[in-house]
Amino acid sequence: MRGSLGTSLVLHTLVLGYALVSISAPASFEVADVEALPVDIIPVESITQIQQGDKKAPVAEKAAPKPTTKPNIVENAENAGDNDIDLKTPPTPAKKPVPTEAAAAPKPAEKPVPTPTPEQNEVKDIVPEETTPKPAEVAALPEPKPDVTPPQPKPEPAPQPQPTPAPAETQAEEIPLPDAVPIPVAKPRPEPPKEEAKPVEKPAEKPAEKKPETPKPAETAKAAEKPTDKKEGKKQETAKSSSSKESDFNADEIAILLNKQDASGGGAKRSSAPAALGGKKDTGGSKLSQSEMDALRGQIENNWSVIAGIEGAEGVIITVTMKLDETGAIVGRPEVTAKGGSDGARRTLEGSALRAVMRSSPFRNLPADKYDAWSEVVVNFDPSELL
Amino acid sequence: MEQVGLAAAASEVSLWSLFMQAGLVVKLVMIGLIGASVWTWAIVIDKYVSFNKAKRQFDQFEQVFWSGQSLEELYRTLSERQNNGLSAIFVAAMREWKKSFERGARAPIGLQMRIDRAMDVTMARESEAYEARLGSLATIGSAGPFIGLFGTVVGIMTSFQAIAGSKSTNLAVVAPGIAEALLATAIGLVAAIPAVIAYNKFTADAGKLSARMEGFADEFSAILSRQIDEKLQPRQAAQ
Repeated sequence: MRGSLGTSLVLHTLVLGYALVSISAPASFEVADVEALPVDIIPVESITQIQQGDKKAPVAEKAAPKPTTKPNIVENAENAGDNDIDLKTPPTPAKKPVPTEAAAAPKPAEKPVPTPTPEQNEVKDIVPEETTPKPAEVAALPEPKPDVTPPQPKPEPAPQPQPTPAPAETQAEEIPLPDAVPIPVAKPRPEPPKEEAKPVEKPAEKPAEKKPETPKPAETAKAAEKPTDKKEGKKQETAKSSSSKESDFNADEIAILLNKQDASGGGAKRSSAPAALGGKKDTGGSKLSQSEMDALRGQIENNWSVIAGIEGAEGVIITVTMKLDETGAIVGRPEVTAKGGSDGARRTLEGSALRAVMRSSPFRNLPADKYDAWSEVVVNFDPSELL
Repeated sequence: MEQVGLAAAASEVSLWSLFMQAGLVVKLVMIGLIGASVWTWAIVIDKYVSFNKAKRQFDQFEQVFWSGQSLEELYRTLSERQNNGLSAIFVAAMREWKKSFERGARAPIGLQMRIDRAMDVTMARESEAYEARLGSLATIGSAGPFIGLFGTVVGIMTSFQAIAGSKSTNLAVVAPGIAEALLATAIGLVAAIPAVIAYNKFTADAGKLSARMEGFADEFSAILSRQIDEKLQPRQAAQ
């Protein structure tokens, strides 16, 4: 037994000694320096649906429109072509150099201009006659409110003349009496016309007298013109029409001149790949990919300060429907609706969501070729996730 | 209890440094378990050697016994040296036989009984020698992992206290303390696994040897019983 114990001891010391020497710190794990790989979940429609290409070209792995010659200068262009501006219309084949002429200034246009002036002048001659006495009268009056008062008498006399003229006289005289302010303004005017021609010309002259008080002379002239002499007005109109008939103005002619330049169509998206079978435009990608949608949502969430501790905010789902233009700016007013939760929480969160959406406009990093997808976009939020 | 140096541990995780960083309790457990392992292997070696030796002796004796050699002669050669196993049983039976006949035995049944008793006692003594120390193998095999686990639990408790003191949950701080604590369980398993295997093997071997001795004792008893009958009947007939 002693011998075997000794043997065992010797064996153990040998094994332990070997373990102490050989088993040192194990090699630490190597952590490979792996770069993060962005993973994007894209809808399969963008691959299966029609892609932009050339309708007559042979089938190739990747659809591509006819190669363009110019370097790409237009960003975010959607339609293939050599154009400088991205247009949806197809390029016109005609390449004749058409001399573009500026539309010749039409001579007859000058004619109608001078014709009204003499008539207006005639009217203006009438105006000063009537207006001249009024400022003098107003100046003599001590009251400082000449502008405010006129509106009051205005409506009153207007309805009066339409019914019988007799009560109109009495009322017109009676009304100025109680009103302390309008008296001086209104009185002098109605008096002279009544004396001159009471029954017939009353309605016509009254407005004419009041309007001159307004600062614009042209309006007064027109207003005065019509009531004073309707015949003259008619004459003027006839004069105008006659003058236009006399001129050799022709709209069609002008249209021809204006359309001398051919319409230039074609897109501005450049293509360097050989032409391959495909559609006129990408019809795929009608959906934003998951990460693009997340990016859009993230932009709103960054600007969204959700107030913590709103009662009943659990389960509120906010749906924002907004229209965007090509730059990502919001068009119109986004529609924000909330579901679930309490009434108060819903209202509060709707307001804050609307503010967040407006603040985050214009949206960045939206794919230009998928504008169809995000021209009108619906974003859903669960505000409880933002807390 | 010693404060576990966590900062230093982060750089060095060799076996010796693990042992030295451990607390006193864990160290004692580890030393005890290493001692148990030494003891286990000492028993294993001892039993292996002695069982092999016993088997060889059994074979040799049986060869000699059944060779047709005179039992008297065999007894004379064997009684001069130390015997164990089958030869010890044979010598014990022959001694009893001799004593009884030298004094003039009369009753054959009494003689038979005495010889059987003598053989049984010798057999019991021999098998006791074979099974000696197998019990400690069983103890080490069953208790070793628990002792190691105890060391681990104490070590992990200590290292958690040290982690709390360092105010960092970095894995580089946490790992060495736990690795050092787990060393105790590892040593416990290293001691216990061979002990369990050896215990099972040597118990079976000892059982086989005992069965062989019993078989021999029965056979020898039958031979002696025949001899007794042959030797005592003429005397009775003469009287």
